[in-house]
Amino acid sequence: MTNEGIGNPVLVIPCSGIGKVHGLISREATYLVTDELAPGKADTLCLALLVKGDPDAVAEVRNHACITLDGCAKACAEKNVQMAGGRVAKAIQVATCFKNHRGAQPGNASALTDDGWTITREIAASAACDVARLFAGEEVIR
Amino acid sequence: MKRAILSCNGLDKPEGSVAREVAIRTAEAIESEIICPVLLNRAPARYKKILSGSSLIVVDGCSTRCATKLATGLGAKVERKVMVSDSVKASGKPLESTLRLQPDGLTLAQSIVDELVHNLNAPAAAPEPVAEFEAPTEYLFVTHDKFEFRIPVVDYAFNENDVWARVLDGVARVGISDYMQQKLTDISYFDPPKVETAVDQFGELGSVESAKAVFEIVSPVSGTVVGVNPAVIENPGLINEDPYGSGWLVEIKVTDFAQDQALLLDGAAYADVVKRKAAEE
Repeated sequence: MTNEGIGNPVLVIPCSGIGKVHGLISREATYLVTDELAPGKADTLCLALLVKGDPDAVAEVRNHACITLDGCAKACAEKNVQMAGGRVAKAIQVATCFKNHRGAQPGNASALTDDGWTITREIAASAACDVARLFAGEEVIR
Repeated sequence: MKRAILSCNGLDKPEGSVAREVAIRTAEAIESEIICPVLLNRAPARYKKILSGSSLIVVDGCSTRCATKLATGLGAKVERKVMVSDSVKASGKPLESTLRLQPDGLTLAQSIVDELVHNLNAPAAAPEPVAEFEAPTEYLFVTHDKFEFRIPVVDYAFNENDVWARVLDGVARVGISDYMQQKLTDISYFDPPKVETAVDQFGELGSVESAKAVFEIVSPVSGTVVGVNPAVIENPGLINEDPYGSGWLVEIKVTDFAQDQALLLDGAAYADVVKRKAAEE
């Protein structure tokens, strides 16, 4: 039996993304969702725990709807959640979101520029909408 | 040899955020590549070339040690390790409980990087061993299931923490027992104490680490650390291969070994301890 559905927090899981600006965007967007846009409705989980097979982390992804936030097409977060038996309700890729921001200079692995924050907020807002739907027991379009 | 940096993911704890920042800043400072822990776990072939030609600086945020476990599991050569939670403790100032780095976290990250880079640029020469020890020739054997544990018959004194000392000319050579090295399995890292550090009997004497556990070395004697085994720092696997010989860890100029000895066990008594411990597992 899982905890998915009405009133249960949604897990927003970013890729590790260390050393790359796209990874930083996925991380910052996650924090925006969990801390500001959907506190109480969304939580996060460290992907490294999951890939190392931490039993609590595995149980978490199996018992909650998950939104994965990957920096690039390697889709580490999405694939690792799936491999752990979790359900990815929505998979977001930061690189794809750049299509609407051609020429944007998002910053570097350590810090985002204004361009970077704009994209980050856009991704976070979209993810927060999905969190709200999932929290209300609705499905989202993948 | 080139260096690469493997950091934990560090997403859900303030210490993890510092670990990530340490990795990024160190990579910039020494112009090294960062290895993404999750991608490494999922597609190790992606980093095969880097791992085979580099020594790793491993940065962990907390005692879960995700990065260390990953490095150990892949048999990577670990040159240095950073444990941010230890640095937080040492600073005496807990980090603010937010996942986004705050000024205190940034300051801590920079201080860790400064120390790390300094040590990398000017590695402390490991002192040479100061005494001439010969390897043991006679052993007691304790068997349990398919395991067999060796214990030198003479000259070695043990504490119940599975650490031995052998004293010659006022210097104790210290290591871990065959039982403990088998229990830990493949040892990947030796974190030595600083030379010239004073240590009490049953005080801390660094640690050794495998994928299974971190083993805190409890000193069997009181005195001052006068040497560490450079061969073990270079190749921690020596501890597994030869725990009573070339896999020794540190040398201590003893203060009063006669007094220490009252609380230590000879080989036969330690064999009883090993039998009991093995039976309890």
